[in-house]
Amino acid sequence: YRELHTFELQAPTRLIEWARGSRVCVAGYEQSGGNEILQLIPPPRLQAKETQGLCPERDFKVECGGFSKRPVYSLKHMPDTSLLVTSGPPDSSVQVWQVSAEDSDVIKSVGTIVTENSTGQPWAKIATISARVPCVLHGSTLDSVQITEVELRKNVYTAASQDSEELSGLAFLDSSTVLLCCARGRLCVADVRQPQRPAQAVPVPAVPHGERWCMGTLCAAQSSGMGSQPVARLSSRGLVTLTDLRKASEPLALAQARVPSPSSGAEFLCVSWAPALQGCLAVSGFDGTVHVYDTQSWDSSGREAEPTFVHKGHALGGVGGSEDPPLVTAHTWHLQKPRTVLSAASDGSLHVWDWVQP
Amino acid sequence: MPEIKVTPLGAGQDVGRSCILVSIAGKNVMLDCGMHMGYNDDRRFPDFSYITQNGRLTDFLDCVIISHFHLDHCGALPYFSEMVGYDGPIYMTHPTKAICPILLEDYRKITVDKKGETNFFTSQMIKDCMKKVVAVHLHQTVQVDEELEIKAYYAGHVLGAAMFQIKVGCESVVYTGDYNMTPDRHLGAAWIDKCRPDLLISESTYATTIRDSKRCRERDFLKKVHETVERGGKVLIPVFALGRAQELCILLETFWERMNLKAPIYFSTGLTEKANHYYKLFITWTNQKIRKTFVQRNMFEFKHIKAFDRAFADNPGPMVVFATPGMLHAGQSLQIFRKWAGNEKNMVIMPGYCVQGTVGHKILSGQRKLEMEGRQILEVKMQVEYMSFSAHADAKGIMQLIRQAEPRNVLLVHGEAKKMEFLKQKIEQEFHVNCYMPANGETTTIFTNPSIPVDISLGLLKREAAIGPVPDAKKPKLMHGTLLMKDNSFRLVSPEQALKELGLVEHQLRFTCRVHIQDPRKEHETVLRVYNHLKGVLKDYSVQHLPDGSITVESILIQATAHSEDQGTKVLLVSWTYQDEELGSYLTSLLKKGLPQSTA
Repeated sequence: YRELHTFELQAPTRLIEWARGSRVCVAGYEQSGGNEILQLIPPPRLQAKETQGLCPERDFKVECGGFSKRPVYSLKHMPDTSLLVTSGPPDSSVQVWQVSAEDSDVIKSVGTIVTENSTGQPWAKIATISARVPCVLHGSTLDSVQITEVELRKNVYTAASQDSEELSGLAFLDSSTVLLCCARGRLCVADVRQPQRPAQAVPVPAVPHGERWCMGTLCAAQSSGMGSQPVARLSSRGLVTLTDLRKASEPLALAQARVPSPSSGAEFLCVSWAPALQGCLAVSGFDGTVHVYDTQSWDSSGREAEPTFVHKGHALGGVGGSEDPPLVTAHTWHLQKPRTVLSAASDGSLHVWDWVQP
Repeated sequence: MPEIKVTPLGAGQDVGRSCILVSIAGKNVMLDCGMHMGYNDDRRFPDFSYITQNGRLTDFLDCVIISHFHLDHCGALPYFSEMVGYDGPIYMTHPTKAICPILLEDYRKITVDKKGETNFFTSQMIKDCMKKVVAVHLHQTVQVDEELEIKAYYAGHVLGAAMFQIKVGCESVVYTGDYNMTPDRHLGAAWIDKCRPDLLISESTYATTIRDSKRCRERDFLKKVHETVERGGKVLIPVFALGRAQELCILLETFWERMNLKAPIYFSTGLTEKANHYYKLFITWTNQKIRKTFVQRNMFEFKHIKAFDRAFADNPGPMVVFATPGMLHAGQSLQIFRKWAGNEKNMVIMPGYCVQGTVGHKILSGQRKLEMEGRQILEVKMQVEYMSFSAHADAKGIMQLIRQAEPRNVLLVHGEAKKMEFLKQKIEQEFHVNCYMPANGETTTIFTNPSIPVDISLGLLKREAAIGPVPDAKKPKLMHGTLLMKDNSFRLVSPEQALKELGLVEHQLRFTCRVHIQDPRKEHETVLRVYNHLKGVLKDYSVQHLPDGSITVESILIQATAHSEDQGTKVLLVSWTYQDEELGSYLTSLLKKGLPQSTA
């Protein structure tokens, strides 16, 4: 490591999201309520692009916090506003929050976007994009995908699909195109200007069914256009497939990540591209480690790939042997520092690490 | 309603200068008497004129309690007791009593001798002040006077730091001072029992911080020291005499041993020798591990760390030196700094907060050209690092302490109000208690609900238990009795017993009411009518017709007479005692309605 910082949150989080001004948001996911949404200021050491020689503070500061009765499974900052949206069980509604860091440090709940027949549905996946009018893309199944204007709660797009397949993620590719990832692996691309046209589907590679999939894309602000960066999909058995959306019929690459088997479930699967390193992605959710891979050497064979780096910190730092070893719940790349990753685990730990290229 | 009043005179909402005034059940206690290290004028002392405009402080205050020896908690004590004037008792723990005067004298020397200040306390004042100190042991209940008692609890943080419980009757306040909920290398963690105080006053300086793990911090520190020493450089670590210095010493000693390093480590003499002496003396105040290993090897007897001599600073080759004072504002550490600053191979690691105006603060802010005495410019080429090892409680620690003590109210000092709203709500939501955050000079009033124990006489208890159904434990039950307050005891007894005990005669109250009834018949016929009527209506009561012509309903008497002027009207006299008020009024209204037409 070049740098390693370990922190302990009061409650574990399953999301790490960047917010305005280099802030980091985390939130609790306890079923029984009393969850906190925290917006943290990273220590100065971790904010700057270059590692400064002299940085007095090494601690995260809680800038503001809010209270949520329901577990927070997903959180996204609304770009260009001081709003946050979150979602979590028991239904597919989306909660809206106001962060007013000036006069008070409390994140206030300002409303809910309720969808039709939302009760009993799995929790909504959400995505946001910088736009003239703040909108959020949300939905829990293929047929419940919609875009809602946050301030007026006005629906501006509804997917035309009849399929009730569960989604594992969604994203804006640009302001008029959205990408949906189904839990069973299928990707769908839809044009929001033409809601009547069904989404174009990208099949999942031929693998035994029963696996859960999730996807990783670079956020719309970072990639220039739909096709420049392939979409990565990760399965609960550790299979990673890369797809170029311009040539969706064939996978660009296929590899098997080194994961323990049997795997511990697909709850926290996470795959993400490094914003500043070409072809580099990180994978987590199988155990207490985070793997970093260089995909430039991958082909379509699907054989096992060697990780460039493995962060074992969460597994090592865990409480004594009697309890279950901690599981990495989320990870995200630092937006400016190319090799810095933030990762969180089920024991409440939050690590920030800067790995050295071997 | 009984109330507890709290006024921070310093550390309401800013760091530095802790001094809190508490008024509880008529007693006035001052908690800590700190000095603000950032000011050079009177603002560094708390505003004592707030306590009492005229009149002596000694008369007003029942005692002063000092939580630990850091100057921002005890620095203004000699000024307060000798220059403003206070002769009452000052309580602190034994290590604090031993170490306080040393720090005060050191600070006095620097302020007066080096800076040439005049309005400052003298050495003699420090000595006189310490004569008023009463030292206490942990968990020892100390009676300040007949009603006020205090008890100290272990607070971690630094040697001798304590949290204090102040109790008057059944109202109590716990003041935490600075504390730490996680043990470190040489001190244990704070601990308190489930004392359920009415109010817990806690510091919240680090409440909004999520701290980097100690392991990472230490790893970084050791890495830096190691790298510097490996390339032949010298490391200067300016420290306060006591506190983190010991922690870092143990850390380096262990590291040197493990890595088999040869470079010398020095600890500057004088103040710090005494410091180690005190740590050895008060070994029971250190953590478990140290106490256990103390038998085999004195943790403060270092193998690799030796006493420093001024001349060593000029020796070639790598070395690590711990020198006082901590902010590089004067003395030995500044001397060494000047010698080593010009070489980029060297490093200075600042381990704590530096007050504005000190060299430490300047270099941490990035200044690389410093003006020294005699207009000399010093160019700083050596590496400047900052490693904070201070031990304070974070949000998690505060919640832990509240969970341990179970207070009814919480008051936070030492933070910024705006940034504590979230913590305030968090505490209120989790523990369902009120959370206050007053500013300096602002008085917060907390209302308490003291429970007053009352003895109830067995006879009364039996009597109440006999009537009615078994009372619900959760619902309040109404009962009648007489409250006797004698000396300091309260007893609830039946009225009869009270009369007897007090030697009083019982007075009986009787009411009589006249009801007019139209009835031309003879009196005894009217009486019969009334009797039959009442018997029919009041089936559950004992209605009797006595031979003398009167009617009784339970103990109420009814007699009929003819109206003196009008033969057609009969006058019923209804008479009842105070105890039968309800039945009496009922009877009266019933009779006023008139008798039914039909007669028996």
